[in-house]
Amino acid sequence: MNSEEIITVATGVVKSWDWATETSQPLPKQLDVKVKLIKELVPIIVGLRVKRLGYLAAITGIDLGPEVGEMDVLYQFCPGDVVITLRVRVPRQEAMLPSLCEIIPSAEVFERELQEMFGIQMLGLHTTEHLYLPDDWPDGVYPMRKDFDPQILSH
Amino acid sequence: MNTKQEPQRFVIPIGPQHPALKEPGNFQFTVDGEIVTKAFVRLGYAHRGIEKAAEERTWIQDLYLIERVCGICSHIHALAYCLAVEQLAHVEAPPRAQAIRVLVAELERIHSHFLWMGVSGHEAGFDTFFMYSWRDRERVMNILEKLTGNRVNYSANVLGGVKFDLDKEQIASIRSGIDFLEERTRHYLDVVATDFMFLQRTRGIGVMSRAQAEIMGAVGPTARASNVARDVRKDAPYAAYKEYPVDIILDERGDLEARFEVRLKELFESFYLIRKILDTLPGGELTARMPRKVPAGEAVMRVEAPRGELLYFIRSNGSDKPERLKIRTPTICNLTSVVKLAIGHQLADVPMILAGIDPCFSCNDRSVQIRTSSDPDGRMLSWDELRQHGIDFYKRLEK
Amino acid sequence: MKSHQNFGQELLKSLKDWARVSSPWVLHFNTGSCNGCDIEILATLTPRYDLERLGVKLQASPRQADILLCTGPVTRQARERLVRIYAQMPEPKYVVAIGSCAISGGVFRGCYNVMDGIDQVIPVSAYIPGCPPRPEAVIDGLVKVLASIHSPGHKIPPEILEGALDPEKVAA
Repeated sequence: MNSEEIITVATGVVKSWDWATETSQPLPKQLDVKVKLIKELVPIIVGLRVKRLGYLAAITGIDLGPEVGEMDVLYQFCPGDVVITLRVRVPRQEAMLPSLCEIIPSAEVFERELQEMFGIQMLGLHTTEHLYLPDDWPDGVYPMRKDFDPQILSH
Repeated sequence: MNTKQEPQRFVIPIGPQHPALKEPGNFQFTVDGEIVTKAFVRLGYAHRGIEKAAEERTWIQDLYLIERVCGICSHIHALAYCLAVEQLAHVEAPPRAQAIRVLVAELERIHSHFLWMGVSGHEAGFDTFFMYSWRDRERVMNILEKLTGNRVNYSANVLGGVKFDLDKEQIASIRSGIDFLEERTRHYLDVVATDFMFLQRTRGIGVMSRAQAEIMGAVGPTARASNVARDVRKDAPYAAYKEYPVDIILDERGDLEARFEVRLKELFESFYLIRKILDTLPGGELTARMPRKVPAGEAVMRVEAPRGELLYFIRSNGSDKPERLKIRTPTICNLTSVVKLAIGHQLADVPMILAGIDPCFSCNDRSVQIRTSSDPDGRMLSWDELRQHGIDFYKRLEK
Repeated sequence: MKSHQNFGQELLKSLKDWARVSSPWVLHFNTGSCNGCDIEILATLTPRYDLERLGVKLQASPRQADILLCTGPVTRQARERLVRIYAQMPEPKYVVAIGSCAISGGVFRGCYNVMDGIDQVIPVSAYIPGCPPRPEAVIDGLVKVLASIHSPGHKIPPEILEGALDPEKVAA
């Protein structure tokens, strides 16, 4: 499939079943999808996988700050030369997302990183062990959040 | 943090020293006799907090930070970063600069693959192989030093282009260096494909089928050795790869031998590409003007590092610092495959299986925890001990 | 007053003889570096530089090491192990910090997970700057450390020792 075909098929997938998604194309080879209902995230991803567009390249968290009170999580799929970004928004307090590790094994390491860096609980991920942060890291401190204060670490 | 369901682990130290010390390991393997039944990875030794640091530094300061994410593939990291920022700023580096960027990237691939060859040989106990390949590698280090001024951390990129040009003398030395390295690569390919002791450690070991490679999200030569046609230089060409395309090297076997051969055969593509660039180097400028403040927006840039696909995601809010910089390295993708592949294999094969993905050997003092059903608390082995276990295991087989 | 021509050779020979007698065993430990320094240290063992001809042997166990070569800015996770390795080394022991990160944290100074240098955690005997230092710089630094170690029963002649630290004299 060339990039236009990929975008067409992917758009079809994310708009099927009347899912609450909003799509846009910031660049010719990019498809941006706002996933408004978290419960639709996993079925959408399964749909992409079935169409062989589901090579998960990265999961990126972005903290929008304590005033906004929310965080963006970007699921970046890269079939061919296209980048499909599924964008989900979670609240900073008690952030939770369903884990993909049952359908995408490589998601485990991405989700472990998201969990420890942003404090998003990945439901269904069978470990809460740190991937990158040291064992003696204090609980409840998420370094990639905007209000992380390094002073809290006692050297 | 008390979230573990497993029993508390104690280390039984080897030799007379202090009593029970809790030692964090990078890998935990559970074995039944010699066979691995479970595997778990835990990193952290080289975690420096780069993504956070990037948010607190300017775009130019970040370039110098990014060059040092990895000493082995410093250029490709910097290249991905520059291309992403240039995309945000709607700037295209001039053709001569892009060609030089690709030239250095391919030279880096050569140095990285020779380095890996030596290290893998060392993991299998072939120190002669290590010595010879690193001696030959010095030739490409010389070339890189002649071009850029440094053997490691070439710092070739600037936002908008490259820092240096090529003169006749440098071009001549690149050509003769490539000729030498090509001849040596042919020799190593022969060794890898025919040496009996080497094949004992690689043939039929660590097999990953194409389906497994795709499901586990493997990238780079590791994936291509399992017949997954994934190479960013071909799938989504960047810099000058549109003008200088590469052929993908694939192998159907999916074992360690295939991974060795794919990396060596890839080098021939690199030699070919370098010669082509030198023959047809476009004229013109070396840099394009970059705005001081990068416009707001998001960019995703994928490049083919020697170890596989490297992804950079940058979000700018229009200020002089990035809002978010995300780096997804190839090793983290391939580590999943090691962890899953190790299961069912002998412990003695684990060092080579790990070497087969060309991991960033960030901590030479990696340790490994081995647990058995009779000893669920486990014992700790240093990586040297695990490597020696593999070497001794295969020596015994010969007798 | 020895001629410059002989001086370099005499220095090398004297150090070689001395090193062969004391045969310092060296342990290499990475506290979280980008690997740039580590690959240059490894390169010193390979045929082009060949550190082993100076009688320096790379060891795996801290309990048998005289000199600890450290790279990296010391991540929090590596800190405990660094301290433990240092504690396991027998006296007399020397620590060499190799590379900008090992000296001050380098480009990672101030990052949340780094301690900003080896001497923030254990005492350091010598610093070899560079990012990374080339193998010649590593060897030069190591030779200076060896020259500063006085091994009982086998002293380096003072004029040689002085010369070892005088770049002009060693230019030969």
